[in-house]
Amino acid sequence: MKAIEEAVRSDAPATRVVVVEDDQASADVLQRRLQANGMVVSVAHDGQRGIELVEELLPDLVLLDVMLPDTDGYDVCLRIKSNAATSPIPVIFLSARGEVVDKVRGLSCGAADYITKPFQAAELLARIDAVLGQARNPRTPRLGRPIERAPGERLVARVAITDQALREHVEQLLLSRFDLADSSDTPDVVLVEGNAALPADLPEDVAVVRVSTGRGANDGNEVVPVDAQLPRIVDLLVRERGLDHDLQAAAEALIVLAAAVGSHDRPSTGHGERVAARAVQIGRALGLDESARMTIRLGALLRDVGNARLPAGIIAKSGELSPEERAMLERHPILGEEILTGFKRLSGLLPIVRHHHERLDGTGYPDGLRAEQIPLEVRIVSVADRFEALVADRADRPAVSETEAVRILQSAVSRGELDAAVVAALATQVRSGGAR
Amino acid sequence: MSTPAAPAHEADAERRHEHRFQVSESIARLVMRTTANNLPLSRDDRPYQWSTTTYCDTVNWSIFRAAEKGSAMQLRIREYHRTRPREVLNPGTAWIEFKDDEQDTSLKERFGVSMDVARSFLRGEAALPEPDHGLAERATLLLRQGARPVAVTQYNRLAYNSLDSSLRITADHNLMYFALPWETRADADDVPSPLGSLLAMEPNVIVEMKWYAELPHWAVDLHAYLKENTREERPSKFIVAMRWLLGETDGTKKTKKK
Repeated sequence: MKAIEEAVRSDAPATRVVVVEDDQASADVLQRRLQANGMVVSVAHDGQRGIELVEELLPDLVLLDVMLPDTDGYDVCLRIKSNAATSPIPVIFLSARGEVVDKVRGLSCGAADYITKPFQAAELLARIDAVLGQARNPRTPRLGRPIERAPGERLVARVAITDQALREHVEQLLLSRFDLADSSDTPDVVLVEGNAALPADLPEDVAVVRVSTGRGANDGNEVVPVDAQLPRIVDLLVRERGLDHDLQAAAEALIVLAAAVGSHDRPSTGHGERVAARAVQIGRALGLDESARMTIRLGALLRDVGNARLPAGIIAKSGELSPEERAMLERHPILGEEILTGFKRLSGLLPIVRHHHERLDGTGYPDGLRAEQIPLEVRIVSVADRFEALVADRADRPAVSETEAVRILQSAVSRGELDAAVVAALATQVRSGGAR
Repeated sequence: MSTPAAPAHEADAERRHEHRFQVSESIARLVMRTTANNLPLSRDDRPYQWSTTTYCDTVNWSIFRAAEKGSAMQLRIREYHRTRPREVLNPGTAWIEFKDDEQDTSLKERFGVSMDVARSFLRGEAALPEPDHGLAERATLLLRQGARPVAVTQYNRLAYNSLDSSLRITADHNLMYFALPWETRADADDVPSPLGSLLAMEPNVIVEMKWYAELPHWAVDLHAYLKENTREERPSKFIVAMRWLLGETDGTKKTKKK
């Protein structure tokens, strides 16, 4: 109860606006209008002061006149957009110059909008709302992050060189690109000198780079010279090694996938690709970002990889399965997860592999998860899988039309099995001709 | 840009009559002109602002099924914006609304809170202040049964309220229905939820009359005029939205309310 009362008292933070306008009267009118709508307004009457205010206050929005006494608004806008601290702040031009060329120039400077004077206050407020809405941060992916560091994040290096002077010199060089490991950190790379023995406590799966104050190969080992280029070269070597690992892991997974052709109750030829394409389409319709759609695609392709560990007789069997066979078949999500667990880069799609047969009402398998426990990406693949199975011929029944398949899935929604919004997105695609 | 500051709590004094009519724009214009001659414009519902309502239901659609039978407790989150948002549960002020809907009558109670509190309430973590009619307790029970946001309506509302709140007449236009993907319990952050697919748009205007005891004579005439000119007697926006969401008819065919 207390939380509610406190929340009622504390309203959302007000929008902070910097107005850069040389005409005093116009600035006053604008300021009053914005303040009346709950905004906190600061005014500058020339470009230089405007830039200072923006850098000082980091407002939510800048309203910028084009004609200023000391410079023009385009210049001010470019300065705002070329400063990393202020570049995300949206800028709206307010100007009496209404020619197309003026608007194009303003927008090309990075402005979010261009409003011609005289304007109606309602229009200005609506445009402000629209611009602030667009500036909001994009949605982050829902599934777990890959274990590896994100692109751009600093790698961790350990310098295992006994010569103290050389070690300190190498550490100094690396600081521009790497964090140095302390005793508790697991490094991404270990640097050793020339042909020195590797440290006894070297973690598994860590890159090793040999360095030398001399140049060239040393007993068959590639040696990197200790100079200003060292951090860049080590960085490239580590990242290249990571990519090699990823490619190898992906290739192995795809080989396993190829071996897992077919499943008990679905047509095999091209089914996985169709499911993946359909799931990606649905993901796009639901506004998921590219990273999430990539996870969905790979997850859809690999969702039945666990079938590779089931007896071929069960996979190939047409018609009814015995209860024992059914129980064995329903282990394929767990087996699939086991196969893929070793691939760090694929960790984000494990929920799809393990849970694509779960149902919102908790009647699915293998874990009987309920709605709120099943990530959206999984729900999307489940719907795409069932839809593509319905519209394909099977040994025991012919394909149904896409419209009929949607109707069948809507019945499953009514029973509480599938996500209504995901099926609605699919229905919209089908109605509009849903090009793959 | 979200709703301006909201008072903490509003509730109907008792059950009130609620009738809905789907009429053409020209009829709606005549009706609202008559209404404007007799009632003041509601200050809370500014003309041309967008009203976004997010409805909750369970995986087995228990709220919708009960509503179809004529009696249900709606649980919804309402937001107001100057421009139409493409996301719901945006930061700012939200109204947690409970509406006990029955044949011909309804009882409504709502709490103005910040959106993070509304989200917390939906997750079953925040309690509400002393409720008037026991609706909050029923809503909490629905949340324990797994009710989550599932469908959204957006529209522009023109509202007139008598000074003593005994009569309220509204006209909703540009009415749109959206699906909303099921939220996982892990969605505990403050990131708004993008709207799902557009399920339907209603080309006409929905006029609603809500009153406590007796209608004044001019409103009796207006009610009769609306009844004569209605295109379709229609159920609540919640029922229409859910029918679209579940693919169970075109949304408006069945009629529960008069």
